[in-house]
Amino acid sequence: MAYVLQTEDLTCIYGEGTPLRTVALDKINIGIEQGELLAVIGQTGSGKSSLIQHFNGILRPASGRVLLNGRDIWADKKNIRQVRFQVGLCFQYPEYQLFEETVAKDIAFGPRNMGLSDAEIDDRVHEAARYVGLTQAHLDASPFDLSGGEKRRAAIAGVIAMRPQVLILDEPTAGLDPSGRDTILGFIRAYRQETGATVIIVSHSMEDVAAIATRVLVVHQGKIAMSGTVEEVFSRADELVAIGLNVPQVTRVFTELNRRGFHVPKNVYTVEQAGNILLQLLHTGEGKA
Amino acid sequence: MIKDITLGQFFPGRSIVHRLDPRTKVLLTMALIVVVFFCQNIFSLLLMIVFVAAVNLISHIPLRVVMKSVKPILIIVIFTAVLNLLYTDDGRVLISFWIIKITDQGIETAVFMAIRIMLLIIASSLLTYTTSPTQLTDALERLMSPLKAIKVPVHSIAMMMTIALRFIPTLVEEIERIMNAQKARGADMESGNLIKRAKALVPVLIPLFISSFRRAGDLAFAMECRCYDGDHGRTRMQTMKFAWRDLGALAAVCILIAGIILLNIFVPDLI
Amino acid sequence: MNEKAMIEFRNVTFRYPSEDTEETRPVLQGLDLTIRPGEFVAILGRNGSGKSTIAKLANGILEPDEGEISILGLDSAREENHREIRRNCGLVFQNPDNQIVATIVEEDVAFGPENLGVPPWEIRERVDAALRAVGMYEYRRREPHKLSGGQKQRVAIAGILAMDPRCIILDEATAMLDPHGRREVMETVRRLNRERGITIVYITHFMEEAAEADRVIVMDGGRAVMDDDPHTVFSQIDRMKELGLDVPQVSELMAYLGRHGVRTNGAVLNAEECIESLSQLLEEA
Repeated sequence: MAYVLQTEDLTCIYGEGTPLRTVALDKINIGIEQGELLAVIGQTGSGKSSLIQHFNGILRPASGRVLLNGRDIWADKKNIRQVRFQVGLCFQYPEYQLFEETVAKDIAFGPRNMGLSDAEIDDRVHEAARYVGLTQAHLDASPFDLSGGEKRRAAIAGVIAMRPQVLILDEPTAGLDPSGRDTILGFIRAYRQETGATVIIVSHSMEDVAAIATRVLVVHQGKIAMSGTVEEVFSRADELVAIGLNVPQVTRVFTELNRRGFHVPKNVYTVEQAGNILLQLLHTGEGKA
Repeated sequence: MIKDITLGQFFPGRSIVHRLDPRTKVLLTMALIVVVFFCQNIFSLLLMIVFVAAVNLISHIPLRVVMKSVKPILIIVIFTAVLNLLYTDDGRVLISFWIIKITDQGIETAVFMAIRIMLLIIASSLLTYTTSPTQLTDALERLMSPLKAIKVPVHSIAMMMTIALRFIPTLVEEIERIMNAQKARGADMESGNLIKRAKALVPVLIPLFISSFRRAGDLAFAMECRCYDGDHGRTRMQTMKFAWRDLGALAAVCILIAGIILLNIFVPDLI
Repeated sequence: MNEKAMIEFRNVTFRYPSEDTEETRPVLQGLDLTIRPGEFVAILGRNGSGKSTIAKLANGILEPDEGEISILGLDSAREENHREIRRNCGLVFQNPDNQIVATIVEEDVAFGPENLGVPPWEIRERVDAALRAVGMYEYRRREPHKLSGGQKQRVAIAGILAMDPRCIILDEATAMLDPHGRREVMETVRRLNRERGITIVYITHFMEEAAEADRVIVMDGGRAVMDDDPHTVFSQIDRMKELGLDVPQVSELMAYLGRHGVRTNGAVLNAEECIESLSQLLEEA
């Protein structure tokens, strides 16, 4: 299977030649398939932010390669902007990048940099706004008059409007209240289903990851510590905790019950899943230690 | 990483120079800067070099670090030296071709000038190497406090300096973040002529201004919450008291000045 | 009442000043609220529910349009009380970068007591004690911008502690932190509450954090719509979701079982309670 994005021995070093030299990424080899919803998790400083900034060429590898559709993104340095249009990266707290007079103009910034026609730009702005749930009234308003959650959505729309093949979101729900968080996760899911785009999300919230990811990548000290389905990764709760990460609360409960000798599975991460398993066990009495 | 930038060029340590009252250091550094220009012959200049080198040694500042402070001004040093070399007409002509005439006096002035500028820089960076930015602003605030009598807002100026120092790294980080975010949307900041590049900065500058105002507002709230009210009834944790070592430093500089004057008067110019 | 309330809001209405006043809905509408000394109160509410406004009003940074606010019996409308109010009731803000004033950790912690005119030797003692209390003493000579988010917030807490307060209000102080930083801050304030009896008002939108408080107030539309112990609040799952909020996963799980006819022994708030409760159920099955 051909990968959309792939890394070959990707290495990232900060402060080369100084006493502060740190290896942020150490020979990373991963492949990301078309249509995946990949969650990247790891502690602050694990290298996960450096990793995603290599995917669209914001950072340049110290050694190793990043391949987009099988081609080295740094093969031709002049082409790096084209790469950024294909791999849309939305940074943490993206609302702080808004600068235009109207939301519509701000969303149009990316498409305009692509050199598209006015009609095409307009089309894309409206499409992106629809995905993130912004109305015409929002589009005509100044970005600075929107609420916090709306600003966040406008900023994400600015990346979606480039119609990237891969959409990367760094902590898209950070600092939002639960309903703001649900709105964002909801439209990410819908966007992926409708467009078939590959989506990568970096998150500290294990509940978010459990809710939407198809695959989880765990980064620890510049290396890939785990990679697998949500179920596979969360069933190794002890290891996750050992490297300083959280697991969803129900996973923690089930792991602990299992450790105490109850016959419950460990690969549980949503409330519904947990509830159904418990109902059955309580009914049959098979869960006893 | 950009996060690791260090404020000013403070080089922490416990040497006697570090422990001098910052006010003493500010005043004595100013004295040294003046004295450098009174070194009229090679002996007084040598004495000055020995003094500055000795202070450097005592304060345990590595030579590598000292050189780093000289490096950025090397161009200026060479430039002034060359100018002096070419524009001095007095003295014995050593080399002469086309319109260029190099005299022995020219060489002497050029060397003197170069050494003086370097001494100037090394002496003043000694101050910044051995004094934290906060101590420095504190010292300036106290030294300038007589100016309050003529309504100079000394405290506010010092506070502004402190806050500026505190926020430089934060803003540097922020600029990098915003630039990356706009680059990710295809902003092109690396090519094109000057006007095009200036235009490309708009998407960076506007968010930067907005966030700076937000930060300023937040900080004002935070300071008010911590009972800040200008320098009304304000005390300081770091008290500044002149100690015996300050007197010692003062004496050392006085002896240096006396020595330089004596050398200037009694040792004739060799060349 | 023989003991003065730490924070008391009586019928407080507040709206942010704006050109078209007719359009602006008040942020707080006739809010009554009493927080007693030594309490650990969490305030929840969706964005725009008015929860952050409470912090700024309590500190005298904003003034109410109607109603009265008093801190330890001091009327916040009187400017001469502000100093005493702010000394007793410190505020930690959301963005750790925007509340640190000095370029060295210990000098920042000293800022508050310096403003209060505390004698230098006593400032030194207070600063050291405050930094030890938040576990940042080893970092006292560091530059704040080189610290992690959680460490910066602990420095901010130390800066308030050095003013010797009776109450600390945290206004979404963990919103910008990673889980590790959030833990650091939560554990720090919980310890200050238990060991020193400092009143904590913890404004947040993390349900797991609110579950650790002794009392949870839920704000909506400028009013306190729920005010109870966390077990009672988090057992009302539908109500919470209606208010744009959530409940911890384990609370939801127990409610799910309850809805399906399992007799559970009440609501649970954290993984430990849930494990105990489920262990019992599974044994009895």
